[in-house]
Amino acid sequence: MTALRVWLGDPNPASRRQARLGQLWLAWRRIRRNRLAMAGLVIVAVLLVVAAFAPWIAPHDPLVQDLSRRLLPPGTPGNLLGTDDFGRDILSRIIFGARITLYIIALVAVTAPVLGLLIGTVAGYFGGWVDATLMRLTDIFLAFPRLILALALVAVLGPGIENAVLAIALTAWPPYARVARAETLTVRSSDYIAAIRLQGASAARIIAGHVVPMCLPSVIIRVTLDMAGVILIAAGLGFLGLGVLPPTPEWGLMISSGRKFLFEQWWVATMPGLAIFIVSLGFNLLGDGLRDVLDPRSASR
Amino acid sequence: MSFIEIDNLTVTFRAQGREVRAVEGVSLSVDERESYGLVGESGSGKSTILRAICGMAPVSGGSIRIAGKVLPAQRGRAFSADVQMVFQDPYASLHPRHTIDRTLSEPLAIHGMPDRDARVVQALVDVGLPPAFRFRYPHQLSGGQRQRVAIARALMLKPRILLLDEPTSALDASVQAEVLNLLSRLREEQGLTFLMVSHDLAVIDHMCDRIMVLQHGRTVEEISRDDLAKANMNTPYARSLFEASADRMLGSTTEPAR
Repeated sequence: MTALRVWLGDPNPASRRQARLGQLWLAWRRIRRNRLAMAGLVIVAVLLVVAAFAPWIAPHDPLVQDLSRRLLPPGTPGNLLGTDDFGRDILSRIIFGARITLYIIALVAVTAPVLGLLIGTVAGYFGGWVDATLMRLTDIFLAFPRLILALALVAVLGPGIENAVLAIALTAWPPYARVARAETLTVRSSDYIAAIRLQGASAARIIAGHVVPMCLPSVIIRVTLDMAGVILIAAGLGFLGLGVLPPTPEWGLMISSGRKFLFEQWWVATMPGLAIFIVSLGFNLLGDGLRDVLDPRSASR
Repeated sequence: MSFIEIDNLTVTFRAQGREVRAVEGVSLSVDERESYGLVGESGSGKSTILRAICGMAPVSGGSIRIAGKVLPAQRGRAFSADVQMVFQDPYASLHPRHTIDRTLSEPLAIHGMPDRDARVVQALVDVGLPPAFRFRYPHQLSGGQRQRVAIARALMLKPRILLLDEPTSALDASVQAEVLNLLSRLREEQGLTFLMVSHDLAVIDHMCDRIMVLQHGRTVEEISRDDLAKANMNTPYARSLFEASADRMLGSTTEPAR
């Protein structure tokens, strides 16, 4: 363990891999000092573990109905968080719902920021009419209310998890494009970009290898902070019946179905609501912590 | 015919309808393996001349020829292999998220050169840095070490001309001397032609064979090294510049600036 620590902290790394891992190690040490960020990281890690091992953790099958045991309150033996109107175990449904939530988050996280980064860096780097065209396009997308645009897309494409993800991704990229462009504008006129241009590098190489790494921290921070919003929009689409289709155990859908009994059997809607709340909080705390670690302005130059 | 020939160069910046002439009708010629200095106060257009050579400033008149050939509008890779530049601020000229190795091997990758590992190590040795620094990040180096890396990067493609934009003004005095000595040594070893900008006559005096004094984008006077040593100037402006740094220069023509 100590040998590994010495290897990671070596001021004179012997290989590219060691240099990169050493930097990661330093970032990890900075984030470990931030208690709230660690709390966020733990919540996200728990979400990952729960989603990965859902069939082994869940006490019941999330889809099996038992009408003799419907709407049982929390704390009932065998149904820790109670049952819903079809007698399905709420805890099991939340546990399996973590998979769907994570699936949506993962798909949005690999599509929207990539698209936003590409558009933002290209617009910022080239400037002129390229910039004007791309940024007006971004403005048009930004001008739409996010949920409404997602609703319209899902209404056209039909409900379903992939279409929900597509709708969210298409409405989520403009802020990333803005962040990436702003970052690109500060980087573009710097000496290190002038130097690489003078070495004869192509625009594609400069953008991919030199501009994007400078934009990445801001975008990653935005992504983690937006994850809470993505979960909420996915839940909102589910709630409106335009996202995931029943009987899939999706958190927003569960809240929607619990609405009917909100006053008598409050737990049916509250338990998935709490799950959404905790996971959103986790991502927000992690995002805040990452900002402290990754922000290029706070890091040493 | 000279190696670098700049004829009647004019650079005009346009911003918000206003025109600013940063350089006006400057002509100069530099022989191969010569070291030529451009001196002047801030805003005199000396750095703009270097940027104009690199295609980073809007040339509105005149011509720039290197080895007899007029430079194409898009400078291209052949130009990169011939002319390289060392920037003023070593804290701003290295990519903060790239290791030294990446910074030095990138030009080789762009130009498809073989033996990258060996060349990177050789380049570090050439500029007097230990090869163990190879995978460090710029923030793990001092200002002088960073400037050595920047010099190494400029020399990766084995250029014939090195443009130096106040290469030592961001460094403290003792490191300045080291970097200047390094540059002199490299010029000797690799047969480089220097075109150097500085506001400090002491630095220029140590490095350059001929000097051009600029003011408000125009040529004031061209002085040879001998004339500079004898304080033999024709114009009052050049004399006042000389007097500003004379105390550091007199009797130190063979020694580096402190």
